[in-house]
Amino acid sequence: MLYVLCLGLFMPLIGFVTLFSTARFIGRWWAGVIGCGTIFISLMCFISLLITYVNTGSSPQTFLLYEWIHFNSINANFALHLDPLALLMTLIITGVGFLIHVYSVGYMDHDDDYARFFACMNFFIFAMLLLVLAAELLLLFVGWEGVGLASYLLIGFWYQKPEAAEAATKAFVVNRIGDLGLLLGLLLTFYLFHTTDIVTVSKNVETGFAVGAPVITLLTMLYFIGATGKSAQIPLQTWLPDAMAGPTPVSALIHAATMVTAGVYLIVRMHDVFTMAPITLQVIGVIGAITSLYASLCALAQTDLKRVLAYSTVSQLGLMFLACGAGAFYAAMFHLTTHAFIKAVLFLSAGNVVHMMHGTTEMSQMGGLSKIFTKTHWLFLIAALSLSGVPPLAAFFSKDLILENEYLVGYEFLYYIALAASVLTGVYLTRAYCLTFTGPQSNANQHDDVKEAPSIMIAPVLILTFFAIFGGFLGFSFNRTPWLEDFISHVEVTHIERELTTSFVWSYEGVLAIIGAIGGVLTSALIYTKYRDKLGNPIEFMKKSFYVNEIYNFLFVIPLKYFSNLLANLIEPKIFDGSVNVLAQGTQGVARALQLVQSGQIRAYVAWMALGAVLLIVYLVY
Amino acid sequence: MDVSLFVFVSLAMFTIGIIGVLINRNALIFFLSIELLLNAGNLLFVTFAREWENQTGLIWVFFVLIIAAAEAAVGIAIFINQFRTKQVVDVDQYDVLRG
Repeated sequence: MLYVLCLGLFMPLIGFVTLFSTARFIGRWWAGVIGCGTIFISLMCFISLLITYVNTGSSPQTFLLYEWIHFNSINANFALHLDPLALLMTLIITGVGFLIHVYSVGYMDHDDDYARFFACMNFFIFAMLLLVLAAELLLLFVGWEGVGLASYLLIGFWYQKPEAAEAATKAFVVNRIGDLGLLLGLLLTFYLFHTTDIVTVSKNVETGFAVGAPVITLLTMLYFIGATGKSAQIPLQTWLPDAMAGPTPVSALIHAATMVTAGVYLIVRMHDVFTMAPITLQVIGVIGAITSLYASLCALAQTDLKRVLAYSTVSQLGLMFLACGAGAFYAAMFHLTTHAFIKAVLFLSAGNVVHMMHGTTEMSQMGGLSKIFTKTHWLFLIAALSLSGVPPLAAFFSKDLILENEYLVGYEFLYYIALAASVLTGVYLTRAYCLTFTGPQSNANQHDDVKEAPSIMIAPVLILTFFAIFGGFLGFSFNRTPWLEDFISHVEVTHIERELTTSFVWSYEGVLAIIGAIGGVLTSALIYTKYRDKLGNPIEFMKKSFYVNEIYNFLFVIPLKYFSNLLANLIEPKIFDGSVNVLAQGTQGVARALQLVQSGQIRAYVAWMALGAVLLIVYLVY
Repeated sequence: MDVSLFVFVSLAMFTIGIIGVLINRNALIFFLSIELLLNAGNLLFVTFAREWENQTGLIWVFFVLIIAAAEAAVGIAIFINQFRTKQVVDVDQYDVLRG
C-alpha cells in the first residue's frame, strides 16, 4: 500500500524533473507522453488504493517516510496520511488533472515551450498531492507553498506578455499574505501541541481546550487567513480573476483540481479544531456568504468569458466556506467534488473557443458560435446548467445541501444571501452562454478559419461532462446512505449539537432552490436572447469588481510604492550608501596618512626604531 | 675592573652607531655603523658573562657574530646589485618600497 501511495505521489515529481531537465531538446511527442503518462500512472495508483479501501474497509493509516526534524520537544516527520478525505482529493486532483493534461496536448500545440508547460503542470499536481496527503501541517505547508510557486510559474507562463507577468506576481504576492497567516498558525500549533501532526492535534484539541477558548479562536483564524489566500476569499480574492492571463488549461487546473480547493481542504482537514471555535466558524460563514454574493455580482457584468468563470469559481468557493461555517463540512466537500468536474468542463470548453478564436476572450467578439462549435457549446451548456443547480445535474445536489444546512442551523440571513448567489449563478452562466454561443455572429469571427476544436480537445471534456451530469449521485440516493457520505463520513461533526442533513429532501428550501435555479436560468436566457440589443453596456461599477482593485491600489499599493520610493531615493543612497561611503573614505584617508610612514627611506625606519626603543626603555624604567 | 667602564664604552659605541646610521647616507658607512651596533651589544654580553660567571652570554656572542657575518654577506650583495642598477651608494635613493 505504501509503495502504491509513494508511486502515486512521486510520479508527477519524476515527470517534472525529467521534463524540466530535458526541456531544451526533448521532442513534443515525448513531452506530451511523459507529462500525461506520469499523471495517468498516478491516477491508476490512487484508483487501486480506492478499490483496496472500499473492499477491505481499511481505517485511516499514517505512513512515516522519514524523521525530518527532531529538536528538543518538537517533532516533525515526513509522513503521509491516507484516509478517505485525502483519497477523494487525490482522485479529483489526478483524475481531473489527467484529463486537463490530455487536453493541453491539443491546446498548447502551437506553443514553443511545450516541455516547460508540462513540467510545471506536473509540478503543480505533485505539490497539490503532497498538500492533501501530508500527515503533518508542516509538510502540508511545503505542498501549500509548492502550489503557490507552480501557480506563479503557470500564470506567468507567457511571460513575454506584461499582463501575464503582472498577474503572476499579483497571485504570488496576494498568496504570500495568506501564507503568512498559515505560517503563524503553524508556529502557534507547534507552541500549543509541540507537533503539527494533524491526527494528534485533532485529538488533543478536544481534551486540552474548552470550546471557544481564545487561543483556539486565534489559531483557527490564522488557518482561515491562509485559506482565504489560496481559495480567493474576501479580502484576498483579487488575484484569481487576474490569473486568467495564463493559458486556459492552467486556469482549469487552478480552478478545478488544485490550488483554490486547498483552502477548503485545509478547513475540512482541521475541522476538529475549527469546531472548537464557534466564533471563527461564524466569521467563515459570513465571509463565505459575502464573497459568494460579491463574486456573483461581479461575474454578472464581466465582458471577458474567462473572467466570468473566474468570478464564478470565487462565488462557488464562497458557498463552500459558507458550508464550512455552518459545520457542514461534508456538504462543502461534496460541492468541491462536483464543482471540480463542472468548472473543468466550463474552462476547457471555453478554452476550445478561445483557442480556435486565436486567443480572444472578449465575449463582444464572439456570439453565434454554436453554429461553429457544434459540440463544444453543448458541453458548456450542460456544465452551466449543472453549476446553476438545475436538477438532476451534479451541482444541484451539492448546492442544495449547502443551502439546506444553512437553513437548518438557523443562519437565515446567510441562507438568503447564499440563495441569491446561487440564483445569480444561473443568471451569469446563462448570460455567458448566450453572449458566446447564441445571437448574431459578430464581425470579428466571420473568418473561415474558425472551426470546431480537434477531438483531443473534445474527448477529455466529454468524460468530465459525464461527471458534471451524474456526479451528484455520488452524494444522493433514495433509500440508503449516499456513497460519498458513507465514504468520508468521518468528517462529520460529532460534538456540535446541530441537526445537519446529508442528502436532498423535499422541503421548503429544496423547492425554493429548484425554482430559483430554473427561474434564474430562464430569465437570463430570455433577456440575453430576446432583449439583447436593448441592453446597454454592463454596469461599470460591477464590471470593475466594485473597484476593489482600485481601493487596494489606493490603500496598499500606492502607499507601498511611495514608501519604497522614499527608501530607494532617500534612505538607500543617503543613509546606507552614505554610511558605507563614509566608512570607505575614512579608511582611505587613514591609509593615506599611514602611507607617509612607509617612506621607503631606510634611515627613517631606523630612526623610528630607535625612537621606539627609547620609548620602550623609558616606559620600562619608569 | 669596574663593569661600568665597559658599559659606558658599549653605550658610546651604540650611540656612535645609531648616529652613524641616522646621518650617513653612504651605504658602506651605514653598514659599518650597524656592525658597530651589534658589537656594542656583544661587548655587553661578554662583560656581564664575565661579571656573573655565566657562559650563556659568550655563546650568544657567537650567534650574534655569525648572524652579523651572514647579514654582511647578504647586505653587501644587495648593495652591489643596487649600485649596478642605480649607479649610486646613497641609501636615500633606495626607496622603491615607498608606500
